[in-house]
Amino acid sequence: MKVQGTLKASELSAIIILTIGIKFSDMTPAIYAQTGKNGYWLMPIISFIVILPSALLLLHLLGKYKNTNLIELIRHILGPKIGSVVSFILFLATFGALSMDSKNYVDTINTMYFEESPELILHLVFMFVCVLGAKKGFEAIGSTAWAILPYIKIAIVILLVIVLKDVIWLRIFPIFGGGLKEMVIEGAKKGSVFAELFIITMAYPIVKDKKSFRKGYLIGSFVVLFELLFFFWIYCTFYDYKSITKVAFPFHEMTQYINVGGFFTNIETFFMAFWILGAFFRFMLILYITTWLFGAIFNIKEFEPLVFILALIALTVGSVLGGSIYDNMIRRDNFLDLVTPFLILFPVMLWVVAKFKGELSKE
Amino acid sequence: MKTISCLFACLSILLLLTGCFDKREIEQRSYVIALGLDKAKGKEGLFDITFQVENPEVVGPVQGSGTDEPPKETVTLTANDFVTAQNTANSFVSRKITLDFARVLVVSEELARSNEFLKIMETAARTKELRNNVSLIISKEKASEFLRNNNPKTETRLHKYFQFMIERAKETGIIPEADIHRFFQITEGDADLFLAMYATTKKSGKKDRHEDEYIAGEIPQKGGNPTEFMGSAVFKEGKMVGSLTGEETRMANILDNTMQMEDVLTMYPDPKKDNYYIASRFIKKKDTKVEVIYHKKRPTEINVTIPFQLEILAVPSLVDYSSNKKNKELLKKKIESKVKKTFEDFVKKTQDEYGEDPFYWSLYVRKYFKTIKEYEKANWSEEIYPHAHINIEIDLEDIEFGNLIKSTNFSEVAD
Repeated sequence: MKVQGTLKASELSAIIILTIGIKFSDMTPAIYAQTGKNGYWLMPIISFIVILPSALLLLHLLGKYKNTNLIELIRHILGPKIGSVVSFILFLATFGALSMDSKNYVDTINTMYFEESPELILHLVFMFVCVLGAKKGFEAIGSTAWAILPYIKIAIVILLVIVLKDVIWLRIFPIFGGGLKEMVIEGAKKGSVFAELFIITMAYPIVKDKKSFRKGYLIGSFVVLFELLFFFWIYCTFYDYKSITKVAFPFHEMTQYINVGGFFTNIETFFMAFWILGAFFRFMLILYITTWLFGAIFNIKEFEPLVFILALIALTVGSVLGGSIYDNMIRRDNFLDLVTPFLILFPVMLWVVAKFKGELSKE
Repeated sequence: MKTISCLFACLSILLLLTGCFDKREIEQRSYVIALGLDKAKGKEGLFDITFQVENPEVVGPVQGSGTDEPPKETVTLTANDFVTAQNTANSFVSRKITLDFARVLVVSEELARSNEFLKIMETAARTKELRNNVSLIISKEKASEFLRNNNPKTETRLHKYFQFMIERAKETGIIPEADIHRFFQITEGDADLFLAMYATTKKSGKKDRHEDEYIAGEIPQKGGNPTEFMGSAVFKEGKMVGSLTGEETRMANILDNTMQMEDVLTMYPDPKKDNYYIASRFIKKKDTKVEVIYHKKRPTEINVTIPFQLEILAVPSLVDYSSNKKNKELLKKKIESKVKKTFEDFVKKTQDEYGEDPFYWSLYVRKYFKTIKEYEKANWSEEIYPHAHINIEIDLEDIEFGNLIKSTNFSEVAD
């Protein structure tokens, strides 16, 4: 590690809130809505419950082995060979998310705001900004998160206040929309919506102390869960159950719909500015962590120059993934399903092995 | 090294230019304020699309720029849908046609009553250019004719005209709140009737009636803009099936809690003197209470309570209602029974004539079901609503009498 623990609990919370919280504005709600219909706002609870024990277990393990990050922990417990394989899978999943999601975000920008710009150029600029940010290092990302968090949230509160008059809350009934069983199964499959909770543990050693990490981590996770629930609730009451399955970007459609009185019409660009700030931040972080994982796996101490190369590869992979909005959604859907079991199982595996090795009872 | 990094920095500034891909100056665009849709005469599946374009030079913020150009231009062309029509229109409109600032979508009754209507509305849902908050107006005549005839005398700025006109008419409740968003939510929900604004520029000359019993085109108006917004067009499953008068639209607005209505002036028959009417302001502060008691086997009960207050504005019969308690009580009773009767008749009409409700009441039955499957199976629009027992209660909370303590005693004045 180049720097020694200066990240504060508040900054960690801010990072978690921003990276996961922005998911209410991409295709995640649309994916949930396909099965949950108007009941989908409850589904993140299931996803969270499914993922939380594993996340806590991982936190527990990290606490036991002092000053290790995720990859070092995996290697230490599973041995260099299997450890590297598991870490590499983790890297691939993060990298996949990076290329696929950045492509989706650029797609959104392209369809909703800059229709005539070529997608490749948008993607290029987008990645360029992320590289510039990621190069600054994790500490900078952390303080940026804390600095921009209030602005983004204020913008969102403004949006909520404006949109509340168009919300018909009775639309949440029938409460279990697409069926309780379907919702539980699908919600569980989408546990990886909270995947960032796992990869963020890379930052364990650079947070001030054990207690701050735990505090920031838990506050961040619960706040973000609440935020997702609340926003999904808004979507479910803004759209009726049939329409909600058709809208690809409910957030952007909503900002296009609203007016402030008769004078301020067409105000979506105001919200778009904050949204794009959040999006930049999210990918900055994911890009940095992806590179970090890569560096840790291949024992590259000075991994920060790799940010640029990985961004370029992600850009290439992302632009190869063509297809319509529907294809994008299905791809992301399948990807989330695929990653969830891995995320749930690997902390358990780590714990079982560590237990057998008798390392947990030390101390 | 230094030169390379300097070069790199200079080159990266070029990236900023990518922002210019979508750049288009305001004067290169022409902003469509109203969009009209008609059935084309010749082929099936073709539409006459009308764009009413505002002239930014006349209506822009710069005052006194001294141009003689007209404030708007109306063009009609035949096309498959209104998105491709934008390009075709460029064969005679010099600027890029932009729908971002469209305020109204005018559809002719002829098209609204046909099956084609849903097809073209699908385009509206798909394109992001036409916003979902655009108001839906059904015109009695052809939409192109409606837009050409519409000629507001004192409101040169077309977008303001539509905005104010619709806003005000909505406040008085004579037209419903109807935008594309609501149209899709209700049509796709397939349980309730959707009400669109009804308007016309043509007179159909019926005889005089009470202030809100007209539909568009019947108002005995002299002078002013020929355009009238009054009443609503009823849509069942995405197809127009009838129309409601202004009074009925007001009732629908009162019964539907998802609508907002503020300023309603109404008349009630004077209980003491037969030929006179009492003018009043209808004030509704609380939501209408709608309680649906769902029974699987027997007809569902719907209990509706309408709370409101009245402010008496004029009593032409000069009967003393304000200080005479007995009279006041009588007035209250009479009004309640009158209102109750009109509401009951109207609700009955929706049950018998349309078999569905225009009040979005399907919302209140949903809580009896756990999943959408069960809810759809129970079938609100065909099984539940048409056979429901609907019980309407009127709760006239208070009567106010303006700012006079007593009305003038004119018989004394005559002495």
